[in-house]
Amino acid sequence: MQPEKQKTSLIRRVLQSISEAVLIPFLAIVTAVLIGGLIIKVVGGDPFVAYKALLQGAFGSKKAWSETAIWSTPYIFAGLAVALAFRGGLFNIGAEGQLAFGAVFSALIGYALPEWLGFDLPTYIHLPLAILAGALAGGIWAGIVGALKAYTGGHEVINTIMMNYIALNMTSFLVGGVMKDKNPLNVISRTPLIAESARISPIFTGLRIHWGFALALVMAFVVWWLLNKTTLGFEIRTVGLNPDAAKYAGINVKRVIIITMLFSGILAGLAGAIEVTGLNYRHELGFSSGYGYDAIAIALLGKSHPLGVVLASFLFAAMRNGATRMQFMTQLPVDLISMIQALILLFVAADAIVRYIYRIKVKGERVVLTRGWGG
Amino acid sequence: MKKLYFVMALVIIASMMLTACGAPAAPVATEAPAATEAPAMTEAPVAATEAPVATEAPSTDCTSPDVFCVGVVTDVGKVDDKSFNQSAWEGVQKSKDDGVADIIQYIETTDAKDYAKNISQFGDAGYDVIVTVGFGLGEATAAAAALYPDVRFIGVDQFQAADVAGVTGLNFPEDNAGFLVGALAAQMSKSAHIGGVFATDLVPPVWRFGEGYRAGALYINPNIKIDVVYHNDVGFDKTFTDPEWAANAANAMVDGGADVIFAGGGKTGNGAVVAAAQRGIYAIGVDTDQYFTLPEAAPRILSSAMKLIVPGVATLIASAKDGSIKDGNFMGDAGYAPFHDLDGEVSAEVKAKMEEIAAGLLDGSIKTNVAPVKP
Repeated sequence: MQPEKQKTSLIRRVLQSISEAVLIPFLAIVTAVLIGGLIIKVVGGDPFVAYKALLQGAFGSKKAWSETAIWSTPYIFAGLAVALAFRGGLFNIGAEGQLAFGAVFSALIGYALPEWLGFDLPTYIHLPLAILAGALAGGIWAGIVGALKAYTGGHEVINTIMMNYIALNMTSFLVGGVMKDKNPLNVISRTPLIAESARISPIFTGLRIHWGFALALVMAFVVWWLLNKTTLGFEIRTVGLNPDAAKYAGINVKRVIIITMLFSGILAGLAGAIEVTGLNYRHELGFSSGYGYDAIAIALLGKSHPLGVVLASFLFAAMRNGATRMQFMTQLPVDLISMIQALILLFVAADAIVRYIYRIKVKGERVVLTRGWGG
Repeated sequence: MKKLYFVMALVIIASMMLTACGAPAAPVATEAPAATEAPAMTEAPVAATEAPVATEAPSTDCTSPDVFCVGVVTDVGKVDDKSFNQSAWEGVQKSKDDGVADIIQYIETTDAKDYAKNISQFGDAGYDVIVTVGFGLGEATAAAAALYPDVRFIGVDQFQAADVAGVTGLNFPEDNAGFLVGALAAQMSKSAHIGGVFATDLVPPVWRFGEGYRAGALYINPNIKIDVVYHNDVGFDKTFTDPEWAANAANAMVDGGADVIFAGGGKTGNGAVVAAAQRGIYAIGVDTDQYFTLPEAAPRILSSAMKLIVPGVATLIASAKDGSIKDGNFMGDAGYAPFHDLDGEVSAEVKAKMEEIAAGLLDGSIKTNVAPVKP
């Protein structure tokens, strides 16, 4: 009888932990949507028409699904970047800058490499090179912050924010200067179009959804595998939970911190590289409406679990994508969507509010997201 | 007890959701007959024009050939940006007030990758005219024109290097605008010495503003002293964003005796306008009425060399409706902004002369003789 009993209690515990992980974000979303509806009502709109339009815009047609997937692609990459750092006890605020660097270097290899070499490259060489350039640019940019943290103790929150300024301004300098599209009619800061051989092809003709989306899902699996099935992943998680214990257990904490930031930056760089090679075919200033910052919200909402990140990315993508239709049908300002997103984040981050509203007891250990300033 | 609270909360949420689903059914049901009545009431024009206003879903009407619909897609800006987007939207509003357009609507773009999607919102809804604002939408507009052959596209500030079927680029004679304020400056200068500060003569519109200004001043007074500088000594990344340089240039001109300064070219131009205003001389702005966009300089802004986007957009929409619109480039009109606070200092003779010159430029009896690009 004894093993049987243990088994059922194990299943119950697993179920409990799943419901615990899913319930709070779900209730946070529901609460935010309800409050958002009230706000729409207050500003004179009809919340039912607005939300219906939002859903239509996000899922109402094949094209809508495709656009939602397109929106979710950079969110998944960048969300994984932030989530991976979270699991290693690091707060990567710098995804936005790493993403911009990824985009710029991917675009550079995309349009300039054939010029430098003097001959055209086949896609199977050129495209991976362009993506790799973006991934490495993001990785190195974040890796610097990891090294600063490991060897000087410089806090990664401050340093990633500072590195964001450097990256974004350098990007603007490059794209408006030496990398600017030289076409005399062009008046805006953007690079030339990348070569055909550096482009990711669409999955279906007529829709914009491209193979970069599939790559994003694969990367989510890879991150899960890395974290849960490899020694390195175990080390990352251990350092994230308790660096002192990790040190006593013989883990090289400095090395793990640098590697964690490096991988996080590679993921963020991929977000930029895939946007360039799969969708925009060039880098243009103002191309990112803050994916790197939304990514922090996505990682929090997804509880830093790769599957959670994918789901949260879909939610944010659906809201962003459906917002156009909502605005078209109701002429409500698109900023409302940002507000609802902020509310969701607020309720997830301050889950005590949600627990209080819905009277949910705290069960088991809480997920440790970061160790805060003292770490 | 806790469970009871939870169940109650769920019941409340469920009831909210159910009412949410129930409520929209009512307005939809009452709307439907109104929509079907509308075509039947064509003999009663008053009722027919009211119908589209009464129905809340404009998308259902625009497929009808009797309803003329105009949509605006902004670049990454808002319809109240006090600049191109706002002017384009006001032009569309004017076409509605003039009775040309029946239904008007705008979508504000939050992310450059949504250009195509936002345009297709209007295209799929059967809109007759889609106005896209800004150079950045040029490629998306041309691509959409191929997808929606029945739609007329108006691209504000999108110079058409080659004709695209279905696309009309709305451009402006900057040299005429420069000519007007040049003539104004020459008449208002007491020292017969005026100045001009511009970003770069390598960007054709800026060159046309600057040389038009020179030509206009010489038209009034062939012996006037004109200082004109272009910020060509720096790269493209800096030339439009260097207010300090422009302020120094303007101050040097004032020290040399100039008492009117016209400036153009993004932040660089603004720097000179503000500096001139601080020195208490007459300042002249560019593109839009900068009395509203540069409040710190407003009391000394004599006028602005304006691209008349509002009437340009309205004119093109009217010609799209009567079928006389053509592919390629359409030259809108240039003008000068009201004198605002300085109206009392401008004599009746000067005002009359300005109206005479504006009329002359319009009917072609006065020519600026400025080359479209720097030779």
